[in-house]
Amino acid sequence: MTIASIHAPVEDTRDRTNAALGMAIFIGSWAMAFAVLFISFLILRQRQAVWPPVGVTLPSLPLAVAATLTLLGSSFALHRSVSALRRGAPFTSWWTAGLVGGLVFAVLQTWLWADLWAAGTTTFTGGTYESLFYGLTWFHGLHVLCGLGALFLARIGAATGRYGHQRRAFVVNAAVFWHFVDVVWIVLFICFFVP
Amino acid sequence: MKTLLDALRSRATWRWLGTGALLLMLSPCADAAMLQEAVDLPNRWGPNPSASDYGWRYDELFTLITILISVSFAIMLILLVLPMIRDRARAGHKASFDHGSSLFDKRFTATVSVIVFIVLDAWVLVIAVRDLREGYWNIPTELEGAYRVEVLAQQWSWNFRATGLDGEFGTADDVITINDLTVPQDRPVVFNLTSKDVIHSLYVPDMRMKRDANPGAVNQAWFQPITAGDFAILCAELCGFAHYQMGAQLHVLSPEDFGAWEQDASMIAVAGFDPEDTEAQWAWDWKE
Amino acid sequence: MSHDGIHPEPTSFWRKHVFSVDHKVIAKQFLWFGLVWLLIGGMMAMMIRWQLANPGEPFPVLGALLFPSTGGVIQPDTYNVLFTMHGTIMIFLGLTPVLIGCFGNYCIPMLIGARDMIVPLLNMLSFWTLMLGGAVGFYSLLVPLGASEAGWTGYPTLSTTVGAPGSGETLWALAVFLIGASSIMGGINYITTIVRLRAPGMTWSRLPLTIWGMFFTAILNVLFLPVIGSAMILLVLDRAFGTQFYVPATMIDGGGGDPILYQHLFWIFGHPEVYILILPAWGFISDFLSFFARKPAFGYRVTVGAMLAVTVLSAVVYGHHMFTTGLSPMLGESFMLLTMIISVPGEILFFNWLHTIWRGSLRLTTPMLFSLGTVFVFGLGGLTGLYLATISTDIFLHDTYFVVGHFHLTMAASSLFGAFAAIYFWMPKMFGRMLDERLGKLHFWATFIPLTIVFCVMFWSGYAGMPRRYYDHTYLEYLRDLQHLNVLTSAAAFLLGAAQLIFAFNFIRSRWWGAKAPTNPWEVGTLDMAVPSPVPYYNFETIPTVVTGPHEFSNPAIPDGKDWIFQTEPLADRAAAPTDPSAQPAASH
Repeated sequence: MTIASIHAPVEDTRDRTNAALGMAIFIGSWAMAFAVLFISFLILRQRQAVWPPVGVTLPSLPLAVAATLTLLGSSFALHRSVSALRRGAPFTSWWTAGLVGGLVFAVLQTWLWADLWAAGTTTFTGGTYESLFYGLTWFHGLHVLCGLGALFLARIGAATGRYGHQRRAFVVNAAVFWHFVDVVWIVLFICFFVP
Repeated sequence: MKTLLDALRSRATWRWLGTGALLLMLSPCADAAMLQEAVDLPNRWGPNPSASDYGWRYDELFTLITILISVSFAIMLILLVLPMIRDRARAGHKASFDHGSSLFDKRFTATVSVIVFIVLDAWVLVIAVRDLREGYWNIPTELEGAYRVEVLAQQWSWNFRATGLDGEFGTADDVITINDLTVPQDRPVVFNLTSKDVIHSLYVPDMRMKRDANPGAVNQAWFQPITAGDFAILCAELCGFAHYQMGAQLHVLSPEDFGAWEQDASMIAVAGFDPEDTEAQWAWDWKE
Repeated sequence: MSHDGIHPEPTSFWRKHVFSVDHKVIAKQFLWFGLVWLLIGGMMAMMIRWQLANPGEPFPVLGALLFPSTGGVIQPDTYNVLFTMHGTIMIFLGLTPVLIGCFGNYCIPMLIGARDMIVPLLNMLSFWTLMLGGAVGFYSLLVPLGASEAGWTGYPTLSTTVGAPGSGETLWALAVFLIGASSIMGGINYITTIVRLRAPGMTWSRLPLTIWGMFFTAILNVLFLPVIGSAMILLVLDRAFGTQFYVPATMIDGGGGDPILYQHLFWIFGHPEVYILILPAWGFISDFLSFFARKPAFGYRVTVGAMLAVTVLSAVVYGHHMFTTGLSPMLGESFMLLTMIISVPGEILFFNWLHTIWRGSLRLTTPMLFSLGTVFVFGLGGLTGLYLATISTDIFLHDTYFVVGHFHLTMAASSLFGAFAAIYFWMPKMFGRMLDERLGKLHFWATFIPLTIVFCVMFWSGYAGMPRRYYDHTYLEYLRDLQHLNVLTSAAAFLLGAAQLIFAFNFIRSRWWGAKAPTNPWEVGTLDMAVPSPVPYYNFETIPTVVTGPHEFSNPAIPDGKDWIFQTEPLADRAAAPTDPSAQPAASH
């Protein structure tokens, strides 16, 4: 028995503050990891004579825009869900909408990669653009997977009654993490798709 | 004195000493042959005298820092060891009570650290910036009579290229040497450094010079030899398993000897030039 | 999580000793883990020193077992593996677990008056992630085509497939990533615990300095370990997926990746890492010097401020590792200035330490000796840093044994001494047994003297121009006449290694057969000293209320003629007055 599970049903304001603080520190910490990737992007981009490079098939802009809008929508749905949860109102449908949005984003993202890879732009062609694009989006993709896992767990927990108005720190943190993933994606989008 | 005598009389002290002596004997350092051999070999305790125009800057600053930190360390040592002797816990001795949190204490600490900073760091900083701007980073140009050398490092050798008589890189009379560099005395020698594979570092200890050769970029460095003779070139950045073998010879020739050498070397280079050998055509446009 | 009641201790072996969430058990796990790796890393150092003293001679006894194909002779590539893994192991798997993993876990709840870490599960996860990282790191030694041999700094392009074709380097990068993840988990836990779980009355200015050291270390951990994590991810992508983050397209300029980018990323992490290792040690010794001088820590707030300043500045001085790579002159001069500025808080710490022991009543116990030793070696290492902060002297000394001597004294020796001090100090509380004091003192002197010789002679070899990471300095004529210095260093290093056997013997013997520890073996007033030794499962039966600072030694206001007082006991002049309500911290239980 862990201490955490002994106390499973109990959660008070202090626990929520603890969880929020822990999450804030984690986000602050992990933002450094992405900051490093973006700095690398800027430094490597500045080394290239032409950007984006000539002769390389670029990722599809419409797909990327669709993915971005889906992700934004998903984040918005989760935001609505969390507000409802805080009020004690039913929150699961908004949550499900956010989860589905996240899944659609993951599918679009995979499509984007597969499309590009099939067009001959792969990491093994050794270009800086390909390196940056795949490297950064793969790393982001891992976070999307983790985020989806957390959203899914929260949804299951809500269904089984583990999470609800009385016990919501995990649900709130899952949404916070998803917003973080969203913000990172927007910076990625600006890096690769805004000239 | 009495405590010392007491300590000498106690069995504990002798047990410690005994154990220490035993350890000493057991340890591989008691390998007499190894120590004897080390003593018999020729040895030196510092770098060779500086052979470059700016080498004195390093030597003098090193000495200055050594004096400064020796004095600081001695003061620290006194303040560390004195309480260990004088203020040892014993019957009837009581520690003073002081949180050191008064305004006076804070001002005292601040003042002392500012003084230490000025004496230790600021002084050295000023000299260092002067040395860098006048010496190390004041890289002479071709017009100032620099003898230019392109260095292409690779695992595990140094490729050197000088212009030959025509003063142009990438021509047939370029003097290309491997692990062997000849430069004139009393003339600035300027390097353009890069690497074919991994990072290397051109280290000429007697000239007090070191600069990394990074793949993907060209680095500059220079020195002006003031003594003729042969000197060592080492690699100072880990570059694989034969890193330790990546040495080269530096020959500094007097201006007359050098003129004759350059003439010969340039002629030999022209005679041996092979346009088919693309591996050897690695020159780049000189970067000031 | 709030722990209002006391819960039953787990009874199954796995829950109690292996997958425990109890911070004290996890601390012990970290301790054993770290000590085993320190032994392995130390053995590697012995092999390195053997090769340098007797180039090409077979390493005695162990050599024949480890390198049977060469009859015990260390080959150049093996030598590179040895110093690479020596550095990686000592930093990530030896010192970090002992200093931060063990004592962070043990001290934080005990000294702030909490029953456990704020997320015990994350704490357990942190240990097992480290275990996984250690396993991957160890496995990297065994793979075909060779283990990691690009140095602990792993500079590309040597660490990319250009210089290291084997999968060992990839595994090494993954191991560093995992270890980093473990440290981040720990860091989040530490910060949140210190902020949220302090006992009533445990204000920020009543925290022992150990906790302050851990707090700043945890901040640096969460901020800068992600940096190395990302750098390693890019390295793995380069190695496994053919990307070009660190591999340039042409050898001259422009295009492709940039090996210097890695150096920036590595040192943005790497320099704070130095402080990650030294800040806990600073915390320990700031406390211990006060504890054993029976005097309050001099200038408590100034000490904390100096640690804070170091924490902040540590992020902006990293460029001094790259003075020869081709930084622009302006950047170079800025980093030189900033590096010199970071010495100011260092000096302030020294004043406060020296001031703390001045006119005290020094009890030269083993933890005190190791604390004084830390001041000595850190003073030596810190002062010699001036040569390396100054670009015009660093040009000659960079990548020579001078650097090796310097960073071993500052980062390795002082944090190791801090760790030893902490082990001798908290062993009674952790295991309920005293370490033997006489063996401890013998261990101190047998460590301190050879250690000083080892690294001072290294300064000498570096001053004479011997580059580091050379397999055989007798190969090149220039370094052949430095053999005597290397022999001297090695001789002292073997003594240093042998001295650790005293500790191993003492530790093992005392752990099971040592004298039973009294409740308060050192007569100090921190919260952990008020509970029985070893500490019971839930630490505090009732959460204590703190009314005094941790360093009220020899205060005339202490009742009963003692020279120390528990943090839960009021001083005489305050006894009558009610506790100041504004001094209540955020968290109460």
